[in-house]
Amino acid sequence: MTVPTGGAAQAAPPTISVEGLSHSFTDPQTRKTVHALDDVNLEILPGDFVTVVGPSGCGKTTLLNILAGFIRPSAGKAFVNGRAIERPGADRGVVFQELAILPWRTVYRNIAHGLEIQGVAKPEIDERVNRMTSLVGLEGFEGHYPHQLSGGMRQRVAVARTWVSDPEIILMDEPFAAVDAMTRLTLQEELNDLTVRTGKTVFFITHSVEEAVFLGDRVMALSARPGRIKEEVHVPVPRAERSWERMSHDEALQDTVEHVLSLVRGEAVEPTGQDG
Amino acid sequence: MTTISAASPPIGRTVKKWLLPAVPFAILVALWGLAVLLFDPPVGVLPSPALVFEAPFNSDPYLANVGASVQRLILGFLVAASTGVVVGVAAGLSKPIAEFLGPLTTFMNALSGIAWIPLAVAWFGPGTGMVVFIVWNAAFFLVFGNTMLGVRLVPDVLQNGLLTLGASRMDVIRQVIVPGAMPYIMSGLRSGLGFGWRAVIAAELVGASLGLGAWIFEQQEFSRMDNIMAGALTIGVIGMVMDRWLLAPLERRTIERWGMVGSAS
Ligand SMILES: Nc1ncnc2c1ncn2[C@@H]1O[C@H](COP(=O)(O)OP(=O)(O)OP(=O)(O)O)[C@@H](O)[C@H]1O
Ligand SMILES: [Mg+2]
Repeated sequence: MTVPTGGAAQAAPPTISVEGLSHSFTDPQTRKTVHALDDVNLEILPGDFVTVVGPSGCGKTTLLNILAGFIRPSAGKAFVNGRAIERPGADRGVVFQELAILPWRTVYRNIAHGLEIQGVAKPEIDERVNRMTSLVGLEGFEGHYPHQLSGGMRQRVAVARTWVSDPEIILMDEPFAAVDAMTRLTLQEELNDLTVRTGKTVFFITHSVEEAVFLGDRVMALSARPGRIKEEVHVPVPRAERSWERMSHDEALQDTVEHVLSLVRGEAVEPTGQDG
Repeated sequence: MTTISAASPPIGRTVKKWLLPAVPFAILVALWGLAVLLFDPPVGVLPSPALVFEAPFNSDPYLANVGASVQRLILGFLVAASTGVVVGVAAGLSKPIAEFLGPLTTFMNALSGIAWIPLAVAWFGPGTGMVVFIVWNAAFFLVFGNTMLGVRLVPDVLQNGLLTLGASRMDVIRQVIVPGAMPYIMSGLRSGLGFGWRAVIAAELVGASLGLGAWIFEQQEFSRMDNIMAGALTIGVIGMVMDRWLLAPLERRTIERWGMVGSAS
């Protein structure tokens, strides 16, 4: 039996760690302050897949932006591999909620972009991009511009664009939100396979509790704004053994979904919080 | 024999692209010819279309004048376009630069290009240098202002996306900022070229001995209305040709192809 990630990993330093993180936005005009995150503590070990759920506006994207290095937190610290996060870097690939694909590049050149920047040789770029394109089901569309694609296809370009350059850590912000339900199931299973195989460290934001449980080693349920970690739920079945088929009748998994749902439901309805 | 009026798409497109825009011109020329026939005005007031269309072939320095004007336009426009884009990108990216240049831009825009002509004549003397300066002055602020605006409007997420792929600041500028600002840069170039062309003619009226503007002004002394009108028509035609054959295709290949505008022009 393999050791489940997050278990006896005392030796490995965390890939990402967050200590007492709080963040407020101040509107420069009105001087009004929005308290987005409150005292968040978090450790993500190498190979961990952590999913984050919480009501809209609770600070999920803000947390991701801090990990990516786009914003400095008002208080607390965030580290990647022991170093304080100061700026974005190629070690942390991001799939954005508002897709960051470039309208002036074809599908192929959007996906190849990271490899071009890293100076990878042409034949290798070709091979890796082609593999990625077929993996996300975009064969035949390499020459298309993003405006010629459907919303779901654009989302797949965004995932491929980040994934192809093989970053150590991937931060994903609701990457499958605009994909149709059928494709979503496929992409989720493929993402699961891919991460199990590559052992990548993933931080994954979603609105869907089922998705969070299906994909994550752990699910972080955030409270309504200011977001704080309400509970960290360990998902009982190892990721290598998961499939939607199993999700539908495994009682342990079903119970986990129910439990996370109850955590999130209380928040979405009544932000002041009335549990159970 | 029947003609099918519901034209197949390619014919329909040709009609739309060439015939339809030509109709207003045809009507204008017809009205003009009609007026000459009906009122028989003196040639010094309104020559017939035929006389005007012939004028370029009968007048020796015509081509040299056209050449001089176009050359000045191209020179001034190229300098204005390159400096405008570079300074515009810098100002779009940096608040201090924008704040430094902001009031100056407003001031310069208020001063119409024509007000510069006497100054430019004094500084550069009459001739090409002075005309080029006037063209630059007319086009630069349009290109600069539009570029700066376009740069500011490029979504942050696109820049951030590139940074997470390991890009340098220079990569971001070249691969995100400039193409992202392209719709605005294009519209700046387009109006810059139009205003630049007007500025060439205005500057030449006063400050040059060669060029379409100078030529028209000179013909006035000889009351050669046919040459004056031929010159005016040439100015309009060249302006139109540049827009349709230079900038419109550039627009089609860039921002239209990328889906960043509804297909215009
Ligand atoms: N740049 C900003 N300036 C001011 N306020 C901001 C900014 N970014 C986010 N906020 C505010 O911070 C709060 C958290 O925003 P965030 O985008 O992190 O939410 P979220 O959990 O990702 O929501 P969703 O699920 O809808 O994407 C919101 O109230 C939002 O209005
Ligand atoms: Mg969000």
